[in-house]
Amino acid sequence: MAGQARGKVTVDVEECKGCGLCVESCPPKCLELVPELSVYGFHPARYTGHDCTGCGICFYCCPEPGAITVYRIKAKAKPLASTATSTSTSLQGGEHAAAL
Amino acid sequence: MRQLCKGNVAVVKGAILAGCRGYYGYPITPASEIAEAAALYFPQVGGTFIQAESEVAAINMVYGAAAAGVRVMSGSSGPGLSLMQEGMSYLAGSELPCVIVDVMRGGPGLGNIAPEQSDYFAMVKGGGHGNYRNIVLAPASVQEMADLTMLAFELADKYRNPAVVLTDGFVGQMMEPLELEDHEIQPPEKPWAVKGTPETRANLISSIFLETDELEEHQRRMEAKYIRAQAAEPRCEVCRTDDAEVLLVGYGIVSRVLLSTVEALRKDGVKAGLFRPITLWPYPVKELEHAARNVQKVLVVELSNGQMVEDVRLALNGKVPVEFYGRVGGNVPSVRELQEQVLTRMAVAV
Repeated sequence: MAGQARGKVTVDVEECKGCGLCVESCPPKCLELVPELSVYGFHPARYTGHDCTGCGICFYCCPEPGAITVYRIKAKAKPLASTATSTSTSLQGGEHAAAL
Repeated sequence: MRQLCKGNVAVVKGAILAGCRGYYGYPITPASEIAEAAALYFPQVGGTFIQAESEVAAINMVYGAAAAGVRVMSGSSGPGLSLMQEGMSYLAGSELPCVIVDVMRGGPGLGNIAPEQSDYFAMVKGGGHGNYRNIVLAPASVQEMADLTMLAFELADKYRNPAVVLTDGFVGQMMEPLELEDHEIQPPEKPWAVKGTPETRANLISSIFLETDELEEHQRRMEAKYIRAQAAEPRCEVCRTDDAEVLLVGYGIVSRVLLSTVEALRKDGVKAGLFRPITLWPYPVKELEHAARNVQKVLVVELSNGQMVEDVRLALNGKVPVEFYGRVGGNVPSVRELQEQVLTRMAVAV
């Protein structure tokens, strides 16, 4: 079900070893391993660009601290009035040591 | 306080509660969270965290801090542990207590970052040079990652010897409930340490004994403490061995799959039991002999091509047929897979 993405994942290609645990664990299946090799000879993970819910499960299961950052997209502000033609979405902080 | 915690982080929390105040290491998957958590927590308790330039440097920093009488640790995985072996031999030779955590991954070489149990020989039999032993503990849960790390510090100080917490990528990476002690342990006084004080000025920490008789005497003394440890420290967990016909033996994460296998086999009508060594050195030889006294067959399961099985064979000394089943490369056998292994083997045995 392609809806409005509620999150975004970035993967540090320098850190990712391409183990695929995030791909395996992602509930909406929005991560994949790239077919190309990184400079270290791995197939790093990447975000397909849609369907991320910002749940952070990939972050928790990643064995490589610092490889994955999950962003949650703030809910759209309610249209103020008829003059509001567009509302921008903004990215909100990464999930880091909160887990500890 | 009960909390959800990653195995690698539990190691650091246990270490701090055991009074450890020095962490020197170099990150490596799947042990990186140990360094990450140590970098977070050690400074908060007045401890020291240093990310060394390599594992060789890290283990020698451990040597220095241990010589100064501080409870100190490092953590790594296979490739890093290979680099540390020289330092571990020196630590053992100089009779310095420390705790080293090995979160085993696939090997040899760089292998992969999935769980294996292929460093058993390197840690239990000693990958460094000379006549020495590591005390080796094998946790199977996040709770034990903390508890056995605390025990490792106690044993390391008791015997003035390096202690290894030998675990795998599975236990290191998984998250489970963790209950921590609410008080911290005060490390013992170490009058032999070199603390830069007038009282300790005459102390010498060294592993060099150029006189042949002197080195033999030193080694005999080490041997005596190893014999003491062999008598006092073996630990194990047994389950349903009283009426068992087949005994399953495994440590770490494998023991948990085996526990489910025992239950599944019992439902099939096969009387299975589980023996799980918690100390890999000293190996619980007497306990294993006792658990295997009435069984027809022993099946050792490991995430290796057969390492601990040698200690099981030595312990049972031909009294019971010992068979082996292993998965490697980061694969973990399923309960069904092990159930089938036992059923086929028992069919042949009857």
